[in-house]
Amino acid sequence: MMRNIEKYRNAFINALDLEEDEVCEDLALGVTREWDSIGHMTLISEVEDVFDVSIDSEWITEFNSYQSGMELLKRLGVDFINE
Amino acid sequence: MTFISIEFLLFFAIIVFTYYLIPHRLRWILLLVASYVFYAILSIQFIPLLLTSTAFTYFTGIIIEKQETKKQKKKVMLVGISVLLFFLGWFKYFNFVNDSLRAMAKYIDWNYTIPYQEIVLPLAISFYTFQAVSYLVDIYYGKQKAERHYGYFSVFFAFFPQLVAGPIERAKKLLPQLKGEHSLNYENLNYGMKRIAWGFFKKTLIADRLAPIVSSVYDSPNPTGSQIVLATILFSIQLFADFSACSDIAIGCARMLGINLTENFKQPHFAVSISDFWSRWHITLSTWLRDYIFFPLCKGKKKRSEIYLAIVITFLVSGIWHGAAWTFVLWGFIHGFYRVFGDATKSFRESIASFIHLDRSPVLHKWVKITITFLLVCFSRVFFRSDTVAQAFENAKLFLTISSWSPLGIVKAFEIFPLLDLVIFIFFYIIVQLFQYIERNNVSTWKFLSKHSIFTRFAFYIFLILSVLVFGVSGNGFVYGGF
Repeated sequence: MMRNIEKYRNAFINALDLEEDEVCEDLALGVTREWDSIGHMTLISEVEDVFDVSIDSEWITEFNSYQSGMELLKRLGVDFINE
Repeated sequence: MTFISIEFLLFFAIIVFTYYLIPHRLRWILLLVASYVFYAILSIQFIPLLLTSTAFTYFTGIIIEKQETKKQKKKVMLVGISVLLFFLGWFKYFNFVNDSLRAMAKYIDWNYTIPYQEIVLPLAISFYTFQAVSYLVDIYYGKQKAERHYGYFSVFFAFFPQLVAGPIERAKKLLPQLKGEHSLNYENLNYGMKRIAWGFFKKTLIADRLAPIVSSVYDSPNPTGSQIVLATILFSIQLFADFSACSDIAIGCARMLGINLTENFKQPHFAVSISDFWSRWHITLSTWLRDYIFFPLCKGKKKRSEIYLAIVITFLVSGIWHGAAWTFVLWGFIHGFYRVFGDATKSFRESIASFIHLDRSPVLHKWVKITITFLLVCFSRVFFRSDTVAQAFENAKLFLTISSWSPLGIVKAFEIFPLLDLVIFIFFYIIVQLFQYIERNNVSTWKFLSKHSIFTRFAFYIFLILSVLVFGVSGNGFVYGGF
């Protein structure tokens, strides 16, 4: 079974059409061409689907980097450590 | 009594004086009375509608919160929003729909008998309805508690500095500030007065000086192409000066009462793309549309084409919010198209910039992008400013005709300006640009001034006031006050 961190990385690969080695912890909204404001919306939908969570509008703007996305998902009950 | 009047300044001075004189527990009463008096002076016949909308939103908020299940909460929220939108729709869109149906009936030979209705648009209805909708949605999502104090809620609904033309505030930001105790603070009074003065400056020396010149072209039966180009560029300057002045005065007034309103503009005419423009122009409406229209439309959408559709729908809503006319719908559609086209051609545009080595000079590249964005915005404003669709297309055609842009033609078009008006406009426009130049370097102009001697500062303040008194022109209210 795929671990949550892998699912999270795959969400970036699928939604933003990135190569595996392009997904890193420094990834942030607006830094790469793929993660622009429109790519951001597809990423949100993908993450919601993968983790079966609902990200509301306030958090959509808060989710602006790879790291902040993980923090947000942790708050929504996604466990990246003890799974 | 509009913002730009001695009466308003006197009215506001009395409010500020009384506000800090009375105890905190009575201040909401003062603000509520002031808000209703202000609204009544402008539009007394719609006070009952304002009161009804306030009461309705107040009770709907509480009912939403009291529902036990998410489904029930959603039902009540949707009923609440529908009623609010019904009020807005009836007053703002009835004749738009009616006229459109009549035109369509004529086209398909259908006997349509509902005549034109004399319906007056209630002042500020678009603004307070959006504020009310966001309040109900936020309660549904649990982001906002339903306010139980009817007085504070009514002040939130009708807070006079921002009632007529925004900024559109969220309850989460405004209500706690209204409830908070604000002591007399020199910084707040000082900053508020400067913002109000700056608003008066932009409105009376730029916006209202340009308004008749722009109108002389747009109301002319046969303007030349160059006149349309010049008038449209001037209209863009007028609209920004007008609306940002209104926000400046609203922000300044609120600050003098100890309340921070949201900034509505960040030098939009220096945006480097259309998406950048919308993060700088009418920011509180843009974020409202983003949070309550665009994000919900994007829920579950993974294809870019689906997001594009959501963008176009959001801009159409923006267009129709601005005015009940097809010209505004087209204006919204144009911006939706710009945004989608900009995204779809991003790689192509970047490769062209690289091919012609434009990307090697970042400053030049930035100014090219600013110029193109500004011209695209100007083109869309041909539709915003024109009275009818037919006129808009005629003007758009003129705007796009190459000969309209001939330098000689543009110079000749300046004849629409009486010479004295031109000199006065250029002088004050340079002042505004200097102000913006300082702020582009991330320094507040007011802070920049505070580093100078008291003599320099007061010379500038006196210059602002004297300019308004001597050269200021007061027109017919604010453009966005009509929405």
